[in-house]
Amino acid sequence: MTAAEVREHIDPIRHEYADPRSLVLPALKFAQTRDGYLSEENLEAVAEATGYSRAYVESVASFYDRLYLTPVGDRVVSVCVTLSCMLRGSDEIMAALAEHLDVGPHGGTSPDGRITLQESQCLGACDKGACIQVDAENTVGPLTPAEAVALVDELREAETPAERWR
Amino acid sequence: MSDAPAPKPPPTDLVRFTLNGRHVYAKPGSMLVDAAAEVGVEIPVFCYEPRLGGPIGACRMCLVEVEGMRGLQTACSTPVAPEMVVHTDNAAAKDAQDGVLELLLANHPLDCPVCDKGGECPLQNHTMKFGPGRTRFVEPKRHFPKPLNLSTVVALDRERCITCFRCVRFSQDVAEDGQLTFQERGAGTEVATFTGEPYEGRFTGNIIDLCPVGALTSIPYRFVSRPWDIKNTPSICGTCPAGCNVDITQRDGEIKRVTGRAEPNYAVEEGWICDRGRWGYPAAWSAGRITNALVRGEDGLLHEVPLEEAVDRAAFILQRSAATGVLVGTDATVEDGHLSAKLAEALAGGRVGRLGIPDRPHLTALRNLPRAELGEIDQADVVAVVGGDLGNQHPIVELRLRKLLRRRGTLLVAGVRPQMIAPRATESVRTAPGRLVDALDAVERVLESGSRPILIWDEADLANDDAAAARLAATAEAAGARVIELSAHVNAHGLRALGLPTGNILDDIEAKRVATLLAVHADPTEFAGSTEWDAALDQLNDIIVVATHRSHITERADVVLPALMKQEIEGVLVSMTGRAQRLRPGSDGPEGAAAAWEILIGLSHRVGKPFPWRTPAQTFASVAAGYPAFAGLTYQAIGTEGAPIGDADVIPVDDTDPPRPLGEGLPLVLTTEIFGDATSWRSDALASLRQQAGLRLSPGEARRQTVTDGDVVVVASPHGSCALTVSVDERLPDGAAFVMTGPPGAGTHALLGADFGPVNVRIGA
Repeated sequence: MTAAEVREHIDPIRHEYADPRSLVLPALKFAQTRDGYLSEENLEAVAEATGYSRAYVESVASFYDRLYLTPVGDRVVSVCVTLSCMLRGSDEIMAALAEHLDVGPHGGTSPDGRITLQESQCLGACDKGACIQVDAENTVGPLTPAEAVALVDELREAETPAERWR
Repeated sequence: MSDAPAPKPPPTDLVRFTLNGRHVYAKPGSMLVDAAAEVGVEIPVFCYEPRLGGPIGACRMCLVEVEGMRGLQTACSTPVAPEMVVHTDNAAAKDAQDGVLELLLANHPLDCPVCDKGGECPLQNHTMKFGPGRTRFVEPKRHFPKPLNLSTVVALDRERCITCFRCVRFSQDVAEDGQLTFQERGAGTEVATFTGEPYEGRFTGNIIDLCPVGALTSIPYRFVSRPWDIKNTPSICGTCPAGCNVDITQRDGEIKRVTGRAEPNYAVEEGWICDRGRWGYPAAWSAGRITNALVRGEDGLLHEVPLEEAVDRAAFILQRSAATGVLVGTDATVEDGHLSAKLAEALAGGRVGRLGIPDRPHLTALRNLPRAELGEIDQADVVAVVGGDLGNQHPIVELRLRKLLRRRGTLLVAGVRPQMIAPRATESVRTAPGRLVDALDAVERVLESGSRPILIWDEADLANDDAAAARLAATAEAAGARVIELSAHVNAHGLRALGLPTGNILDDIEAKRVATLLAVHADPTEFAGSTEWDAALDQLNDIIVVATHRSHITERADVVLPALMKQEIEGVLVSMTGRAQRLRPGSDGPEGAAAAWEILIGLSHRVGKPFPWRTPAQTFASVAAGYPAFAGLTYQAIGTEGAPIGDADVIPVDDTDPPRPLGEGLPLVLTTEIFGDATSWRSDALASLRQQAGLRLSPGEARRQTVTDGDVVVVASPHGSCALTVSVDERLPDGAAFVMTGPPGAGTHALLGADFGPVNVRIGA
């Protein structure tokens, strides 16, 4: 990704942000949506387009869980592990998915590179607890561990959308 | 009670408030933490540091109770108000201090016994003074691999960090290098650079001084000493003419560390120092350091002898000589200069001179304008910089200029070199070599636009540009601007104030008026005109050298008297702004060496004309009595903060012809980069930062000269030549050859004449 491409995206929305620093986030989101994660090159492009230092842009990106500084799987599955979901069995869901995907107990990317599993703080869907979120868009629940495994298998088979916000 | 003094009437311009039950006064608008400190009440802080900008309230250490305000307030960001009632030591405040410290320590490794900061650590001190005696935290603490090398000189222990933001603010808001930030969040927060690349800059060491815990430490000082084993001595850096105040740490008589002053000198460096000044001290034990006196024997070789014997030998030579020239180098102190002059008077046919840029008449006009201290840049609204390369050669000035720009002052940068601050400057004018005059319309406009203008001018550049200098002096005077001179050499101002001329000794040797040379901290073979000097040295009968490091001249000397370096001696240096400041010995130096002043006094005794002075202080008293510029100054008056000297009666060189470039080809622009000087090349702490000598050309000029990156070429001027590696730099303009001086012995000085006059060079294979 080049700075020009980032600029093309943020120039039309620049006026919506009173503090120009706030533009760093939509710029990062744009880069990640297209390229899947924020490579060094992407961070540099965002820094150049927004006029902030590379270190500052990386510091913003590293603050947020949903901005990835390393490559992730085609789809990202986030299991809510905050109180309501935990009481409704998220620990078991996490354990079942981790075993099924052959990743560590706190998540990781499956060996086939299709799915990244991660723990998430409250997704704001306590009424659906225990819930999981597919990419950053679709929150599903309540689920049992078996239903969660079935959902992930379905995702594995499904076609991956070209551009997605995870 | 009747004999108690009547209470002072309350000052009317102050605000009255109540602090821990006492009525006290403070300046309106001051923050509680400062107002309390003013009346002797300490409120603990970690993140508060006014030199970094406004308060940010990040660490929460300064919580106090203000009656009528909901919750506790951060004293660093709460201004005093009339009749405010503040408690810093009641149960609520104590509870907050306990709580904040307990939380800060929850993830702190408490590895004080192996931490360099232990014993001089604000976190340790505040915990002992304000904090809870024991921790209730039993859970595992966070761990990071340690330490991480942030660069080759700064180590980072992330576990110890309390995320006070000081280092990040320094990088972002003071040095403005934008390299340090916090990454991740919460307990995982860590200080980091972009993708972990090294933190490189010119001022990085200041983050070590700023760190209130042991998270950032100096690698050269790592595990070297404990605070109770060391002694700190306030002294002067003396690496460049800016005159930054420093503290020298010594242990067992050896220098271990240089830091910014704990009590910053706001008139000069404001507590910041550059990395060259901070880590240049290992030059004291570099390979070339002369630790024993040397005398040339019958076999024609130099032999180590006791210092006494060498001084006797030198005195014998001086007494026998009918005509001695005493040459004072640029690093010599005021005392060294004075004693050299007096020794020359005492010797038959003796004469004294100094190395340096000739005092051309138009420079005197600029010097006679009212001077400003560096600190006064903070009160200026417009500043014009004409010539030079202050980011490399007087680095600390750049931090003041960045501050000027942050408070929306106007900065004009004009000159031939790409100045590092130029991209930030309000206006930047690039001129051709010797054509500063082209920038003067802009300079005039900018200076006239301000109500408190300051002109910063470069000695070396304006010495070669009569037309510009004359007009610049008139412009500055008309605009009411005060001036700061960017001197080319460390104590040039002080030695000039002693009336020491330049150029005379070389002329005298060439005219056979001098047969013996006594060089005091002077190495003309590593200085402008080295080719001419090389030939001149051959004509001498005897050479006596007082020097700290081996060089071409010590190899040719008959007697080498080992001198102590600036961090090992007592003496006065005058900064480029005309501020007399005291060097104090922060180290004993090699046993076989002596201070130049001591050697000179010793020589006076042995030649039978003993000086009445036995100490540098007595010598300086004689300087104060003998020279109007130093009138009224004493060691005591100079103190630890320094004092401005008066205007000197400078006798300009008798030369009214404007300097004309010699030779044909490209105009030469000689620059010393910050880590491309002798100090950097001698200090092993700076080994990875050292900058090489080289020839830099713009892409266009490189094409025209048919050279490319990495070629080794011979650069030749009418004075001499040297071989240099080419690098192409697109920031440079066409039409000039930019030569970086590099390490001692690189030979770049051979390109210049002894008068520092402009030259053109040819580039050949």
